[in-house]
Amino acid sequence: MTAVLALKQINKEFGHGHTAVTALKDANFEVAAGQFVAIIGPSGSGKSTFLTIAAGLQTPTSGQVLLNGTELATQTEKARLDYRFNEIGFILQSSNLIPFLNVTEQLKLVDKMAKRPFQKERAQKLLAELALSEEATAYPNELSGGERQRVAIVRALYNDPSVILADEPTASLDTPRSIDVVERLAKEAHQHNKAIVMVTHDQRLISHCDVVYRIEDGVMTRQA
Amino acid sequence: MYLGLKEMRHEKLRYSLLSGVLLLISLVVFMLAGLANGLSNGNREAIDNWQASDVYLNQNANETLSASQVKLADQKYIKGNQVAPLATLSGTLRTTKNAHKTNVSALATSRKGFIMPKITSGHRINGKNQLIISASLKADGYKLGQRVRLGTTKKTAKIVGIYASSTYMIAPTVYTDVATLNRLKDMPVTSGDQQTINGFVAKNGAFKQSNHGGLQHLTMATFINKLPGYSAEQLTLNTMIYFLFAIALAIIGIFMFVLTLQKQALFGVLKVQGIGTKHILAALLTQSIAMAVIGIVIGLGITVSLAQIMPAGLPFVINWPQFGGYSLALLAAAVIGALLSWRTVANIDPAIAIG
Ligand SMILES: Nc1ncnc2c1ncn2[C@@H]1O[C@H](COP(=O)(O)OP(=O)(O)OP(=O)(O)O)[C@@H](O)[C@H]1O
Ligand SMILES: [Mg+2]
Repeated sequence: MTAVLALKQINKEFGHGHTAVTALKDANFEVAAGQFVAIIGPSGSGKSTFLTIAAGLQTPTSGQVLLNGTELATQTEKARLDYRFNEIGFILQSSNLIPFLNVTEQLKLVDKMAKRPFQKERAQKLLAELALSEEATAYPNELSGGERQRVAIVRALYNDPSVILADEPTASLDTPRSIDVVERLAKEAHQHNKAIVMVTHDQRLISHCDVVYRIEDGVMTRQA
Repeated sequence: MYLGLKEMRHEKLRYSLLSGVLLLISLVVFMLAGLANGLSNGNREAIDNWQASDVYLNQNANETLSASQVKLADQKYIKGNQVAPLATLSGTLRTTKNAHKTNVSALATSRKGFIMPKITSGHRINGKNQLIISASLKADGYKLGQRVRLGTTKKTAKIVGIYASSTYMIAPTVYTDVATLNRLKDMPVTSGDQQTINGFVAKNGAFKQSNHGGLQHLTMATFINKLPGYSAEQLTLNTMIYFLFAIALAIIGIFMFVLTLQKQALFGVLKVQGIGTKHILAALLTQSIAMAVIGIVIGLGITVSLAQIMPAGLPFVINWPQFGGYSLALLAAAVIGALLSWRTVANIDPAIAIG
C-alpha cells in the first residue's frame, strides 16, 4: 500500500531559547487510502500541532509533509490553500459549521468555491448515509452536537478529498454517539477508500481503527 | 457573494441597522447637495440663462458687478459675437399703491441685447418705461399692464411682458432697458452713450486693442465665484458633504472591522476548509456594497419625495449627474471601508479554529 499522506522526521518548536517548547520530535507517520488511523495521547502532547502540520496550516521546523508524493513545503501559499480545499477534509472538535448556512447550504458553499453547480444527488446520498436527510434545511443552532458532528463529516466527505483529518470529533459527544460517529468514519474509510486520521484521547474508540499512533511529549510511536 | 448575502439574510437586524445608518448619511448628503444647488441656482439662474462666456467690469471694482461703474460708450473696447451692456439694481418692486412689495434683482440691457429673456406672455420691450418680469412675480400678484416702482423713487414703469422664472442673487429678476433703469434710479444721465451702467457681458468676447479703457475682463466662472457670498456658501455646504463621505467611510470601516474581529473564529474555520482571504474579503465587500446600495437608493427615493413637498421658499434643485457622482462616492466609501479590514482578515491564523 502506498501512503496518501506521509510525514517524515517532523520537528516542531514554538519559541526559542529557554522558553522554547518542542511540540513534535522526529515524528514519522503515514496513512494509505482506505485506512482509518487513530492518534491518541494526553493533552498537550502535540496532537493538534501534528494535524495542522499535516493539513499545511503550519509549517514544521524541519521534516517533510508528502501528499500523494508531493512535498507541501515546496508549494506556494495559494497551492497550499487549494490543496487544503481539494484534498483535505478537516473535521474540527467543534464549530465546524457556518452559523448562517443551513445544512444543504454548507455543502452548496463547497460547490460555489469550486465554481461548479450544486451536486444535489451527492448531497442527498451523503446526508442519507449519515442519517441527516431530515435535517437538510436546519441551521447549525437547531442541531444537536452529534448531528453537527455528522454534518461536519458530510461536509468533509462532500468535496471528495483524499484525506480526512478529524481533531477530536467526538469530544463534545456522549459515549453512544461517539461510537456512532467513529463507526461512520470507519465505514467511510473502508467503503469510499478514504485515508482518515482521527485524533482522540478516548481509549474506547480506538478499537474501530486500523492503525493506532500513540503520542507523548511530542514523540510519536506506531502501535502494533 | 454567496457567503456575504446568506449572512446578511440570516442577520437581518444587524445589517439593516447599518443600511439604516448609511441611508441617513446619504439622505443628509443629498439634502445638503439639493439645498446647495438651490442656493447656487438662486444666485446664478439668470446668469446661466444668458449663456455668456465673458464679463467686463471697471478694473477698480474688485470683480464685483454692483461695485463697478462704466459708461455705455465703453463697449467700443470690446469685440465679440455678442456684447450686451448690463446694469443692475437690487431693490423693491412695488405697485403704485404699495399693494405688492417684493425684493427683486432688476437687470437692464439693450432692448435687443442677447441677454434679454424670451417672453412667454405679453410682449418684449419696445418703448420707453417698460419692464418685463419673471413668471414667479406673476404668482406674487403682479400683472401685465400694471405700473410699478422700483427702489425708492417715485418714477414708474409698466409691466409689458412675462418670461420663464429666473433669479439672481436669490431674488426674482425683472428686466428693462438701460435708460428706463437709470430713470427709475433717478440717475442724472438717462439717455445717450454717457449713461452709467455696471459692465458688459459677451459671448466669446475679447478686447479690441491693448487699451482697455479701464475695463477688466472676467471669465463667467470667476464672475460667478465673486458673487457676494456665493463661494462661501458653496464651500460651506460642499465641505459638509465631503465630511459626510469621510464619515460614511469611517462608519463602514469601523463596523466591518468590529464584525471581522467578532468573526475571527468563523473566518479561521473557513480558512481551515480552504476558503481563503480572497473569498472572505469578497463577502465583506458584497455586504458593504449591498448595504450602501440599499441606503443610497432609499436615501435618493426619500430625497426626491421630499423635493416634491418642499415649500417654494426653500430652493432645492436635484442635479442628477451630481447625485449620481455622490452616490458613487458613497459606494466608494463603503468599498474602501470594507477593504480596511483586509490586513486583519489576511492575518487570521486558521490554527485558531483548531485550538
Ligand atoms: N502556537 C503555539 N505557540 C506556542 N506553543 C504552542 C503553540 N501551539 C501549541 N503549543 C504547544 O505545543 C504543545 C502541543 O500542543 P497541541 O495543541 O498540539 O496539544 P494537543 O495534543 O492537541 O493537546 P489537547 O489534547 O489539549 O488538544 C503544547 O505544549 C502547547 O502548549
Ligand atoms: Mg488539540
